[in-house]
Formats: sequence, structure tokens, C-alpha cells
Amino acid sequence: MVYWRIIHKSYLRNLQYRLSHFVNNVASSIFGLVFIAIWEGVLKGKQVAGPYDAETMAHYIAVCQSVLWVTAFLSPGLNVQVGVRSGAVSLDLLRPVHYLWYVLSHEVGRIAYNACYRSLPIALILGLAVGFFFPSNVMTYIWAGISLLLGVYIGLLLFFHAGITSFWTTEIRWIHYILISLLFGLGGQMIPLDLLPGFMGKVAPYLPFSGLIYYPVMIYLQLAAPTGIWIQLAWALLLTGSALLLTRMARRKLEIQGG
Amino acid sequence: MFALYRKLIASSIRAQMQYKINFLTSAATTGMIMVLDFVVLSAILYRFHDMIGWNLYEVGILYGISSSAISLYRLVAPEIHEFERYVMQGELDQLLIRPVSPLLLLLTRNLDLSRIGGVVQGLAVLAVSLSGMLLQGESTALLLLFVPVAILSGGVIYFSIGLSTAAACFWLQQSKDLQTFTIYAPANASNYPIALYPSWLKWLFFSAIPIAYMNYVPMLYLLGKGGTWFYPLLTPLVAGVALGCAISFWRWGIRHYHSTGS
Repeated sequence: MVYWRIIHKSYLRNLQYRLSHFVNNVASSIFGLVFIAIWEGVLKGKQVAGPYDAETMAHYIAVCQSVLWVTAFLSPGLNVQVGVRSGAVSLDLLRPVHYLWYVLSHEVGRIAYNACYRSLPIALILGLAVGFFFPSNVMTYIWAGISLLLGVYIGLLLFFHAGITSFWTTEIRWIHYILISLLFGLGGQMIPLDLLPGFMGKVAPYLPFSGLIYYPVMIYLQLAAPTGIWIQLAWALLLTGSALLLTRMARRKLEIQGG
Repeated sequence: MFALYRKLIASSIRAQMQYKINFLTSAATTGMIMVLDFVVLSAILYRFHDMIGWNLYEVGILYGISSSAISLYRLVAPEIHEFERYVMQGELDQLLIRPVSPLLLLLTRNLDLSRIGGVVQGLAVLAVSLSGMLLQGESTALLLLFVPVAILSGGVIYFSIGLSTAAACFWLQQSKDLQTFTIYAPANASNYPIALYPSWLKWLFFSAIPIAYMNYVPMLYLLGKGGTWFYPLLTPLVAGVALGCAISFWRWGIRHYHSTGS
């Protein structure tokens, strides 16, 4: 299958950077350790209502830091804007595969690489620092797996949306930064979303950003029932629809420009 | 030398001001991104009141100084931050044959004006924190006097770390991955009290990557958390020493530089 080949090729291409990524993994783990230390400092000597004691929070942050590398740290705009600027996109649109799936396959190869050489080492380092968490229930693994896959897919689509705007603007730097900061602010990477006060806490769990980090982590840690998957599924469908629509509009836009 | 610096910087600003809208949107977005980050921190402290005894306003002071300082560094020295490219693509060779020091040329090549948004955001967090303290009836006069010193010294400390990381390129040929370790992670850590961290990290932030002296150490004294009177004096002192070390490391690196020939 052609998409499988693209995924495999892009995985192999990333494999060449293994060594320099090793330094980066240690540094990324420091981010995790800093967040864990912050929570320890915040929770120290306090009676906490609910499930979030210092140990649970340490696990939460550790799992978040690993999940980030497959759902949130994707290529800016999935590199759509690079093709648009160089003009290579007109060739990509001519290929006998659908442009959306073609772009997504490229990134999936990179995500597979990240899972092996980023997520796993970081999970290992942070796990050694704060202890590993393994769910007792077999179903938890299945639900968390589904939730994570949906998270990856929503992440891909969000980044694709940022990238495809380059057909109209050619520059996506700021759209990408806004997307990233919304992801980090409202995705749950620093704080479980149900702890956010007031309006923020009510709305954030229903936004697409929660699908990338919050739900997969909460389900894996058995802190929430797997019902969040429905919210993820709804966003996955909605974003697929709008991605297909935008791809079609972009194609038409390109025809008008003439490449 | 300063006249030359002024002239080159002025032309760099003029060049960028050709794209005013781009400058405004980029500065606004950089500021907004950092605000969102602080909102999450406020949400945590709103719920749990304090972090090892530091309340939101006190953490806000640390946070404001650190984010203004790093934005200052990114504003003034984008080419130092992106130095990897000069070594990898052999662009450094062109700088070495000019009659002016390569460091001065790099510092005048470009200003990243979008980082002004980050400086403004840091100052805004400081303003909110200081006025919060005033409302609680605490005296903030000394703090107000010291904050500019802290931001400038912090900028110098970040610049020294950035320059040393760039100089590492002379041996490693790359610095992007190293930056996460030397700049991004420490910058994130310095938003909060250093006492939070495991001892090896603490040791690192007090020695090789001396960000503790920028805000945490002087604030121990100024916020009455158990420091002594000379702590605030350490801030500019450490900044000066760090800068001296970084510049000699950089010069030593340049002498050992072999072009890639590409």
C-alpha cells in the first residue's frame, strides 16, 4: 500500500537524527522534572480533595511529557507551507493519492519515530525518577490506546489546518504559535483540566486540545472513565470534514493562481 | 565602536519597519502566548494558594523578571541564538574576513523586534504582581528600584549562556539540541523558586547555568525570605562574570575554528 510506504520512508529518514535527539531527550526530561517539582511544591503540606496527591500528579506530568511527543510536537503546519512556498505543492496535488492522506502519512512516519526514540526514553527517564504507573485493568490499556490514537489523529488534523492556511497567506509562523500555545494552555499538559477554575475549567474539556493530552493521560492513569473518547471522536469527525473541505478549496485556489 | 553599533542597528530596524503589520502581529502573538502560560500558573496558585511558601505575586515577580530577561536576549541577539547556521553552512567565513569583530557583526545583523511583545508581557506580569503587593500593604519601593537591574542582568546572563552555547558549535557543529538543555529548560525553571528542584538541578542553576542569581537569589532577600543584604549585589556581579567567561570562551572557539569548506 502506497501510504504505508510513505510512512516507512519518513520513519527511516528521521532515524538518522537519533544521536542528536538523545541530548534533546535529557533536556526534555528536565522540563518534566521541573513541572513535577512545581506540583510537589504546590501540594506540599496541603490536604487535597480528590485524586490529585503529589504522587498522582508526578505520574500525570510524566505521562503527559511522553504523550506530547506523539500528539502535540508535530511538524509546524505538517510542512504544507514549505511546499506552497517552493511551488512543489503543485506536483504533490497531481499525485494519484489524496493530498490530505499523503501529507498525513509523511507525518505518521515521524510520529512512529518519535514514539520509539522520544516518548519511550522520556517515559523511562521520568519513570525512574518518580516511579512507573501500570493500570491494573486490561480494558484500561485498550481504552487508553484508542484515546491516544484519536489524540494523534486530532493533532495531525489541527496541524494540517494550520499548514493549509499557507495557500492563502504563505506564512504560518504565527498561526502555528497560536495553535501551540492553545495546546499547552488548554490541553492539560501542565494541569489536569478539571482543576482549572471557573469558566476555563468548564469549557476546556470540550475543546479539541483536550483530546491530544488530557483524555489519553486521564484514561491511562484511571483517573477518568473512558467517556472522553466520545468528545475526541466528535472532533476527529468534524476536523476530518473541514480538512477535506479546505483541501478542496486550496486545490481550486491553486488552479486560479496557476501554481 | 558604539557609534558603529548604533549605525548598524538603526539600519536593521529601518529594514524591519518596512513590514509594520508583520511586526505588530508577531509582537502581539508572542506576548499572547506568554500570557496564556501565566494564566495556567495563576490557575494553579489560585486553587492551591502558594508554592513552598511563595504566593502568586511573589512567583509573578520571578516570572516577570525571567520572561522579560529572556525576551531581551532574544530581541538583541537572534543571530547568536541561530548561530548554528553560520557554522553548518560556512557563512561564518564571510564574517571573519571583515575588519570588524565577528561578534559585533552578528549582534548588529538583525534585531528580533517581535520579542518586544515578550518584554511587554513580562513587564505586565511584574506590574500586576507589584500592585497586588501594594494592595496587601507591603512596601515595594526597593523592589521597584531593583527590577530594572534584575532584568538587565538577567538579559546579560541569558546572553552569556547563549553565546557559550553558540561557541560550542565550533566543536560540535550544531547547537539546536543543546539549546533545549542550556536555555529553554533553564528559562522555564527560572520562572519558579529554585528551591523546588532536585539538588543536582539546583547545583546546575547556581553554577554552570547561573540563572538563580537573576531573580531567585536577590528576591530571597527583597521579599524577606531569609537572604542577607548582599544577595541583590550578586545579580549584576554574576552577570558580569558570566559575560566575561562567555566572551573568552567564544574567542577561544573562534581561534580553533576550521571552516567546513562547504
